[in-house]
Amino acid sequence: MSEFGFLDFNLVPLLPEVFLALSAMGFLLIGVSFGDEARRVIPWYALLALLMTGVLVSQVSFDDAIVLGGMFKADAYSGFVKLLIIGGVMATLGLSMRYLEQEHIDQMEFYVLVLLASVGMMFMVSAVNLLSLYMALELQSLSLYVLAAFNRQSPRAAEAGVKYFALGGLASGMMLFGISLIYGFTGSLDFGTLTASMMVMQPVPFAVIFGLVFLLAGLAFKLSAAPFHMWTPDVYEGAPTAVTALFAMVPKLAALALLMRILFEPFAYLVPQWEQIIIFLAVMSMIVGAFGAIAQSNIKRLIAYSSIGHIGYALIGVAAASEGGINAVLLHMLIYMAMTAGTFAVIMAMRRGGRSVERIDDLAGLSRSQPILAYALGILMFSMAGVPPFAGFFGKLMIFQAAIGAELYALAIFGVVASVVAAYYYLRIVKVMFFDEAVLMLDLNVLSGPQRFILACSVAFVLFFILSPSAFIDSTQLAAAALFPGR
Amino acid sequence: MDVIAVFAPFFAFVLAGLLNRQIGDRGCQIVTCVGLLIAAAASIKLFLDFALGDQMPYVRVLAEWVAVGDFKVSWALRVDMLSVVMMNVITIVSSCVHIYSVGYMSHDEAKGRFMAYLSLFTFAMLMLVSADNLLQLFFGWEGVGLASYLLIGFWNEKHSANAAAQKAFIVNRIGDFGLTLGIFTIFLVFGSIEFETIFANVADQAETAFVFFGHEFHALTLIGLLLFIGATGKSAQLGLHVWLPDAMEGPTPVSALIHAATMVTAGVFLLARFSPVYEYAPFALAVVTVVGALTAFIAATIGLTQFDIKRVIAYSTMSQLGYMFFALGVSAYGAAMFHLMTHAFFKALLFLGAGSVIHALSGEQDMRKMGGIWKKIPVTYVLMWIGSLALAGVPFFAGYYSKDIMLEAAWARDTGVAHFAYWLGIAAAFMTAFYSWRLLFMTFHGKPRASAEVMHHVHESPPVMLVPLFVLALGALMAGAVFYQPFVGSAGGHEASAAHHTEPAHESPERWNRQAFWGPAIQVRPGNDTLEVAHNVADWVKRMPTVVGVLGIVLAFVMYILQPRLPGRMKEIFSAPHTLFYNKWFWDEIYQFVLVRPALLLGRMLSLGDRKVIDAVGPDGGARASGKIATALSHFQSGYIFQYAFVMMMALVAVLSWFAFRMG
Amino acid sequence: MILAAVFYLFAFILLLSGFLVITARNPVHSVLFLILAFFNAAGLFVLLGAEFIAMILVIVYVGAVAVLFLFVVMMLDIDFAHLRKGAMQYVPLGLLVGVILLTELVISVSAWQFNSLSQQNLAVPEIGLNAATNTQALGAVLYTQYVYAFQLAGLILLVAMIGAIVLTHRVRPGVRKQSIESQNARRPEEAMEILKVQSGAGIS
Repeated sequence: MSEFGFLDFNLVPLLPEVFLALSAMGFLLIGVSFGDEARRVIPWYALLALLMTGVLVSQVSFDDAIVLGGMFKADAYSGFVKLLIIGGVMATLGLSMRYLEQEHIDQMEFYVLVLLASVGMMFMVSAVNLLSLYMALELQSLSLYVLAAFNRQSPRAAEAGVKYFALGGLASGMMLFGISLIYGFTGSLDFGTLTASMMVMQPVPFAVIFGLVFLLAGLAFKLSAAPFHMWTPDVYEGAPTAVTALFAMVPKLAALALLMRILFEPFAYLVPQWEQIIIFLAVMSMIVGAFGAIAQSNIKRLIAYSSIGHIGYALIGVAAASEGGINAVLLHMLIYMAMTAGTFAVIMAMRRGGRSVERIDDLAGLSRSQPILAYALGILMFSMAGVPPFAGFFGKLMIFQAAIGAELYALAIFGVVASVVAAYYYLRIVKVMFFDEAVLMLDLNVLSGPQRFILACSVAFVLFFILSPSAFIDSTQLAAAALFPGR
Repeated sequence: MDVIAVFAPFFAFVLAGLLNRQIGDRGCQIVTCVGLLIAAAASIKLFLDFALGDQMPYVRVLAEWVAVGDFKVSWALRVDMLSVVMMNVITIVSSCVHIYSVGYMSHDEAKGRFMAYLSLFTFAMLMLVSADNLLQLFFGWEGVGLASYLLIGFWNEKHSANAAAQKAFIVNRIGDFGLTLGIFTIFLVFGSIEFETIFANVADQAETAFVFFGHEFHALTLIGLLLFIGATGKSAQLGLHVWLPDAMEGPTPVSALIHAATMVTAGVFLLARFSPVYEYAPFALAVVTVVGALTAFIAATIGLTQFDIKRVIAYSTMSQLGYMFFALGVSAYGAAMFHLMTHAFFKALLFLGAGSVIHALSGEQDMRKMGGIWKKIPVTYVLMWIGSLALAGVPFFAGYYSKDIMLEAAWARDTGVAHFAYWLGIAAAFMTAFYSWRLLFMTFHGKPRASAEVMHHVHESPPVMLVPLFVLALGALMAGAVFYQPFVGSAGGHEASAAHHTEPAHESPERWNRQAFWGPAIQVRPGNDTLEVAHNVADWVKRMPTVVGVLGIVLAFVMYILQPRLPGRMKEIFSAPHTLFYNKWFWDEIYQFVLVRPALLLGRMLSLGDRKVIDAVGPDGGARASGKIATALSHFQSGYIFQYAFVMMMALVAVLSWFAFRMG
Repeated sequence: MILAAVFYLFAFILLLSGFLVITARNPVHSVLFLILAFFNAAGLFVLLGAEFIAMILVIVYVGAVAVLFLFVVMMLDIDFAHLRKGAMQYVPLGLLVGVILLTELVISVSAWQFNSLSQQNLAVPEIGLNAATNTQALGAVLYTQYVYAFQLAGLILLVAMIGAIVLTHRVRPGVRKQSIESQNARRPEEAMEILKVQSGAGIS
C-alpha cells in the first residue's frame, strides 16, 4: 500500500464507534431473523453494547490522533462528550423500554435507530473536517427524523416527523451552502488547514464570514436555539415521549460540542465576529425559553421551551470564548441531562386509565396520591429553576461567572433576569402538584424498575451535587482544556 | 458548642422529616423541641463565653466545598459576637415557637410536617448568620426563602395561602437577584467571597471604580446598593414589602418566628455584617437611611387603618424594620442589632399573643368582631400589654432603650438625611403607640362583637402555649435594660450625661463595653461613631420619642374608649388619607398594573404563537404583507412548516444584514 | 470560445428550466422541466471533464428519482392549486428576503480579492492523476482518502432504508403466504389420518 502511504489507516481511535455500528447492524439481523422472540432481549443487548462502547471510549488513549485522512480526531474533549452521549442514550433506553410496551410500539428498529443515531453523534464530536462533520450530522439527523415519526398510529407523531424532516432539510441546506462558501474562499475543508489559513488571511474574506453565518444557522437549528427553534415545541409534543426524552437530552449536547469545536478550532481567529452571532442566539433563546413557556399547558411543550432556555444559557458560556466558558457549558449540559432524565421519568409516569396524559393540570394532587413522585419532580423543577442548593444552580453559576470573566456583563445580567422569569413556570408545576385539587387521579405504580432507578439517580445527583462538585468539574475541566492546546 | 448550636435543628429536621411516619406526630414534636432546646442552650453557653469569658472570635472550617481555579470556598462557621447574638435570638425565639406550636397546631393534621419545616427553617437561618463566605450565606438565604415558602403555604387547601406563598417567593427572587449581582460584584472587585479577605481589603478598594455602560460607578457603593436590594426583599423594605402582609396567611407561629423575629431581620444582619464595606460607601448608607425611614413611616400609616389583627402587627413589624435600617444607615450598627434583639422578643410575644387570641376566638382574625374578652383570657391580656408597652417604647420596657438610641443616633449623625429619618421616626413612634393601643382596645375592651356562640367558647390557652409567652415576656421586660451597656453604651464605659436612663443594676464585667463587646465584628470608621455622639444629644431629642408615645396611647384611649364614635368621624373628615392608608398606598395595584400584567401579556403574546412572531418581525419588511400572511395563515392548514421555515430564513438574513451593515 | 458559448447555453437553460419548475401550473410539466434541468447540469459536468458524475446524474436523478416523482405526481391526486394558493401569500415577503440575500451575497463575493493561499489549500488529488479514466480516479480516492466519508454515507443509506421500512411496512394479518419449507417438512403421518371404519356402524 505504499501508494497510499500518506493515509493513516489506524482504526484504533474509531474502535468504539465501529463496535457500536456493528452491534446495531447485528441487532438488526437478530431482530429480523428471530422476530418477536428477540423483542425482549434486544433492549438489554443494546444497553450492554452501549456499556461496552463506553468502556472502549474510556480505554482508547486520547493521544489527539487524527486519522483517516484528517477526518476523525480522538482527544480528551471528544472522549468526555462521547461518554456523556452514551450515558444519555443509556438513560433514554432505560426510560423507553416500558413506555414502548405500553404504547405498543416496542419494535426492535427503535433500538437500532437509537444506536445508529448515537454513532452519528459520536462521529459528530470527533469530526475535524467539514465533510465528515456534515456526514455525521446527517447520520444522526436522519435517524432522529425517523424516530420522531416512530409511532405510526399517531397522526401527531407523523406530523412531528414531517415537520422535523422538512425544516431539518432546510437547515442542512443552509449548512451546506455555508460550507461551500467557506470551501470556495479558503480552498479547504480541513480544520487544521482552515485554522492556518484564517491566521494568515487578514482580513478574512467577507464571504467566509457569510459562510460561517450559514453554518451556524444550520447548527442553531439542531441546537434548537431561537430563532431557529420553531420546530421544537411541535416535535417534542408530537413525538413519542421516549423519543422526546432522547431529543431533550442527547442531540443538543452533541451539536453543542460540535459547535464549540468549530468555533474554537478553525474559526478561533474570528472570535469578534462569531461572538455577536452567539450572543444574538443566546439572548433570543433565553427570551423565548423564559416567556414562551408561561402559557403552555402541555408538559412536553413546556420542557421544549425549557430546553430552548437552557441552550440559551449554554450559549452564554460559548460566547465567553474561554476555557472557563467551555468548562461551564459542559458542566451545565451534564447537569441539564441529569435533570431532564428524571423529569421524563415522571412524565412517563403520567398515565390515566392506561393512556398517557400530558397536561400540566393532570399533575394536580400528585403530592397526595404519589408523594414520592411529587417530591422528586419538585426537586427537579427547583433545580431547573436554578434554586440553590440544587445542581442546576451550579451550572448557571459557572456560566455566569465565565460571562463575567469575559466582561460580558450585560449578557450575564440578562441571563440572571431570564432565569428569574423562567423560575415562574417551573414553580407553577410545583404549585399544581402540591396545592391544586385533583379532579381525576393518575394511575399508580406505572414505572418499571429501570425507570425508577433513573429517577432515583437523577434526583440523587441533583440533591448531592453540592457535596462534591469538584468530582465533575475536574473532568469537564480536562475536557475543556483539550480544546485549548497550548493556549 | 457552635457546631451543636447550628446542627441540632438540622438533625431534628432530618429525624422529623424522614421518619415522620415511624415516630408519629408526638415523636416529631418531642424531637424538634428537644433539638431546639439543645441548640438554644449551646448558643447561650457560647454567648456567655464571649460576653463574660474571654473567648475570641474564630472561624471553624468544617469541610472543603468548591475549589475551581482561584475560586475556593469551604463550609465554615464564623463565630463572633454578631453571629452569636443572632444565634441566641434565633434559637431562643425558635424554641419558644416550637413549644407554642405543639399547642397551637394541636388540631392540625400534619403536625409532624409542620415541626420539621420549622426546624429546617431554623437550621437555614443559623447557616445564614454563621456563614463565613457569601456562598454559604446565600445558601442559608435561599434556604430560609424555601422554608418560608413552604410554611406560608402550609395550609395549602386555602387558595389565598398558595397565592401568598408564591408572591413571597417571587418578590424575594427579585431581592435575591440583587444579592446575586452583589456577590458577583464582590468577587469581581475582591477576587474572593470569603469575609476575611473582603474585609481585610476594603480600604485598598475604597477608590475602585467600574466603567459600565459608559458610566463610572464607585465599586463599593455599587456593592452596598446591590446587597441592600437583597436586604430589601428579605426584610420587606419599601418597594419589595408587598409579600410580608400577605404572608400572614401562614399559621401564626410561623408569622411570629419568620415574619417577625428572624428571617425578616436577615437583611439587617447582612448590612451589619458588611459594616466594613458600608463604612466606605456613604452614598449607599444615605440610601439605606432614606428607604428605612420611609418604610418606618409608611408602614405605620397603613397599620393605623387595618382591621386584621395579624396584619396590624405585620405592618408594625415592617415599620420597626424600617427603624433598624435607618439606624444602620447612620452607622449605628450596634443600635440596629440591639433593636433587632429586643424587637424579636416583643414582636414574637405580640404575634404569639395574637395567636392565642385567635385560638380563643375559634380562628377569628378581624378586630371588628372581637372586643370585651379581657376578663376571659386575663393572662394573654396582660402579656399583650407587656408586648405593646415594649413596642411603643414606654420607659423601662425593652423597646424604650433600643428605639431611643436609634433615634438619638439618627439625630447625632447631623446630616439632612439623618434629620429627615429622625422626624419620620418620631412620627412613626407616635403612630406605633396609637395603633398598638387601638389593637388592644378593639380586641379586649368594649362590647363583645363576636357571636354568642364564639364568645361562649372563649378560653385561656393551655400552659404549653403560655409558658413560651412568659419567656418572651421576660425578654420584652428585661432585655433592654440588661444589654443596653454592651450593645450600644458609651465606649468610655460610664455615661455622665445619660441621667434619665436607668443603668443596669449589677456591676459590669470587663467585656461589658461596646467596643470590646462587638470586637472586630462591627467596624465603624472614626468619624462615623454616631453611637458615641448619641449619648450627648440635647435632652429634648431624647425625650421626644417617649412623649409622642404617651400621646399616642392617650389619643387611642380617647378615641376607642371614651368616644367610640370618634374614629368614624375622623374617617369622614380625613377620607383621602384614610383611603390611601387603608389601601396600603396602592402598592399592590401599582405592581399589578406595571409589572404583573405586562409580563403575563408578553408571555401570552410569545406563546400564542408563531403568528404573532411573524407579526412582530413583519413590520421591518412589509408591514402590510405580514398582516395579510398572519390572517391567511389561520386558514392555511398545512402552512406551519412554511411559516417556521420563513422565520428561519428571516433570522438568517437578519444576521447576514447585520454583518453586511457592520463591515460593508 | 465554443466552450464558453456552450457553457452559457447550458447555464441559461438550466436556470430557465429551474425557474419553470416552480412556476409551471401543471405539476407534470414541473417534473419534466426538472428533468431538463438535470440534463443541463449533466452537460455542465461534462464541460468540466467530470464525465462520471455527469453520467451518474443522468442515470440516478433522471432515470430513477425524476421518474419516481412523475409516478407520484400522476398517481396521487393532490390539489396543487390549493397548496399554491397558500404559498403565494408568502411571495412578496419572500421576494424581499430573497433580494436582500442576493444583494448581500453579490456584495460579499464582489468584495473578494483573490488570495493565493486558497489556491494552495485546494485539495490536489495525489493519486489517479494519470489514471486512464475519470471513474478509475474517483474510485481510487473514494476508497482511500475518503473512505471514512464513504462509509458514513453507507450508514446513512442504511438508516434511510430502515426508516422507510419502519414507517411504511405493516404486517397484514389476513395475508396467506406460501411456505415452501413447511410444505416440504410435512410428513404423511401429520397430513393424513387413517381410520378404520367398521362397516355397518355408521360414523360417530
